[in-house]
Amino acid sequence: MAARPWRVIGVSLALAVTAWIWTLAGALFLLRWIAVDRPPPPPPPLLPYGELRIGVDASYPPFAAVADDLYGLEIDLGQMIASRLNAPVRFVNMGFDGLYDSLKADQVDLVLSALVIDASRMGDVRYTLPYFNAGLVLVSPAAEPLQAVDQLPGRQIALEFASEADQLAHAWLRRVPPFVILPYELPDYALDSVRQGTADAALVDAVSARLYLRLHPNWRAVSQHVTDVLYAGAVRSDRGALQRAIDQALAAMMEDGTLAQLVSRWL
Amino acid sequence: MLSSRQWFRYNWLWLVRLVIVYSVLQLLSPAPPRAPLDGPHTVETTQPHICVHTRLIDEVFEWKIQRSLQMVRELGATSIVEFFPWAYAEPERGRYDWASFDRIIRHAGDQGLRVIARMGLVPAWARPDRDGQRTTLNYLPEDAYDDFAAFVASFARRYAGRVNHIIIWNEPNLAFEWGYQQVDPVGYVRLLRAVYGPVHDANPDVVILAAPLAPTLEPPGSPHGLNDLLYLEALYRAGGATYFDALAIHTYGFTEPPAAPPAPDHLNFRRAELLYALSQRYDRPDKPVFITETGWNDHPRWTKAVRPSQRVAYTVDALIWAQQRWPWLDSLCLWVLRYPASTRSYPDNFTLITPDFQPKAVYLAVQAYARGWERTEDLWLPAPGE
Repeated sequence: MAARPWRVIGVSLALAVTAWIWTLAGALFLLRWIAVDRPPPPPPPLLPYGELRIGVDASYPPFAAVADDLYGLEIDLGQMIASRLNAPVRFVNMGFDGLYDSLKADQVDLVLSALVIDASRMGDVRYTLPYFNAGLVLVSPAAEPLQAVDQLPGRQIALEFASEADQLAHAWLRRVPPFVILPYELPDYALDSVRQGTADAALVDAVSARLYLRLHPNWRAVSQHVTDVLYAGAVRSDRGALQRAIDQALAAMMEDGTLAQLVSRWL
Repeated sequence: MLSSRQWFRYNWLWLVRLVIVYSVLQLLSPAPPRAPLDGPHTVETTQPHICVHTRLIDEVFEWKIQRSLQMVRELGATSIVEFFPWAYAEPERGRYDWASFDRIIRHAGDQGLRVIARMGLVPAWARPDRDGQRTTLNYLPEDAYDDFAAFVASFARRYAGRVNHIIIWNEPNLAFEWGYQQVDPVGYVRLLRAVYGPVHDANPDVVILAAPLAPTLEPPGSPHGLNDLLYLEALYRAGGATYFDALAIHTYGFTEPPAAPPAPDHLNFRRAELLYALSQRYDRPDKPVFITETGWNDHPRWTKAVRPSQRVAYTVDALIWAQQRWPWLDSLCLWVLRYPASTRSYPDNFTLITPDFQPKAVYLAVQAYARGWERTEDLWLPAPGE
C-alpha cells in the first residue's frame, strides 16, 4: 500500500515529461516548417476576367461621350492602354456617382473618367500617372505675355462670369494690388476680348483655351497654367500589379509622344 | 499608523506629480466647442417654399456646420434636407452614437431651420459580408429591413418635435443606390412597410417621405436602373401608397430652362409635373409633395450642364415657376449648398457656395429673390464685337 503514492507520482511525472517532449517536438517542427524557403504564391492574374474593363462617365466631351457609340480622348486612351497590355477592352458607361463604387464592387478594373487625384480616396484606390492637366490657364498675346499673378496689377483680365476663374480672380484681388475683372457670359468671349485687344489676358480653363486656340491658329498667344487639375486613372488598392502595368503603358506613351498626339487630336 | 501630517510629508512629491500629469492630460483633451449657439434665429424670407439640400454629416469641424446653416438662413431658405447615415449612428447592432447627428440638429434648430432627414447607408454588420468588402454601403438585404426600421424608429423617437420629416432611402430606382442589385419597386414597398409602423409608433407626428427617384429613362430590365415614372407606378401598384405620408421628388433642369415642357421620354425640370400627375391617379389628392433635389449645373464640360449665367437665371426662374404654378408643392430644395471638400469634378458645380464659404453668383441671385432685394446691375458684359 505504501508504494502506491510513489507509483502515482511516477506515472504523473512520466506523463508530464512525455507531454513536454511532444510540445518541444511540435514547436521545433513548427519552427522548421516556418523556416522552409517556399516559392511565393502565384500572383493573381493581371486581368482576372481576361479583358480590361474600364468604367467611364460618358457625359464629358471631349474626354468621353456617347453618340451611337462611346467616343472621346479617354475612350481612345483606354483602347491604347489595353492594346499595350495585350488585352481586349470593354467600356462600362455609368454615372459619376458610381465610378469609385464600381471599383469596390469589382464591376470594372480601371476607371478612366477625368478623375482628379484625391488624397482622401487613396485608402481605397491607386491612381495611375496623370494624363492631362485641366487646370486654369492665363492666356495672353505672345507679344505681351502675362504669366504670373504679380504681373496683373493695373491690367484688365477677362473671364467667364461666375466661373471658377471668376472665383480665383477675386481671390487674387486680395493678394495683389487691384486689376480690372471683365466678366463675360462665355469663356470664348473672354478670349475674344484678349484677341481683339480689349483685355490684357484671359483666365479660363485649359480645355476651353486649347479648343479656342485650335479655332484661331493665326493668333499668337501663350498660355500659362496657374492651377493644376490632374486627370488620372484609378484601380482598386489591391490591384497594384495592374496599376504598375498601366503606369508603364502611360510612361511609354509619354516617352514616344503618343499621349501628346492623342491629346492634340481631341483638344 | 501614520497621521495625516506624516502621510503628507512622505507623499507630497507624488501629489505634485499627480497635479502635473493631470494638467498635461487637460492640455491633451479636446478643445471646448468653438461653435456656441447664438440664437434662436428666425429665417427672414418672402419665399418660404425655398429649401436647400446640405451635406453636413461628413463635416469635421462644428463651426463649419454652424457657418453652413447660417448661410442657409441668410439665403432665405426655411428648410434643409440632410443625410443621416445608419452606418454612422449604429456601428454595432444596438450601440448608438448620436453625437454627429445631435450637433447638426442642434445648430439647425438654432438657425430656425426645419430639418428633413434622409436615411440610408447600411453598416457592415447588417450586410451579408461583414467585412464590408464586397457589397457597397447601399446594399440592404431584406433580412435587415427590421434592423433598419429599428434604427429609423430610434432616430424618430430621439428627435421627435425637432425632426418630423423622414425620407426612407434615396433613389432606389438606380442599381447603384440599390447596392448594385436589380432595382425592385415591390421590394422597396416591403422596406417602406417594415419602417412605417415602428416609426409612427416612435413619433406619431412624423411624416414619412417615400424615397425620391432619380430622373432617368432606363428601360425595364436595364442593369443600371428603371425609369422613374415606371418605378413610381410599380410602387403604387404594389400598394406602396399606404406606407408613406408625402411624396418626394428629384427633378433636374439639365440643359433646359425651367419652363420647357415635360414629356415621359424626356428629362427636365417639369418632369415633377408628370410624377405629381401619377400620384394623383393612385394616391390621395392632398398628399404633400416635396422636391428634395433640384438645380442646374454650370460645369464647363459636362454634357448636362449650362453656362454659369444660365444657371443663375434658370434657378431663380424655377423658384418663381414653382411658387406661382405648383400650389401642391410644400418645398423646393436646391442641390446643394456646399460639399465639405471639393469632389474634384462636375458635382462641385451644383454647389451654391465654395468649400471656403464664398457665395457663388447663384447663391446671391437666389438670396436676392428670397429676401425681396432689388438687383439692378448687369452681371456680365456684352460679347465683344468683331
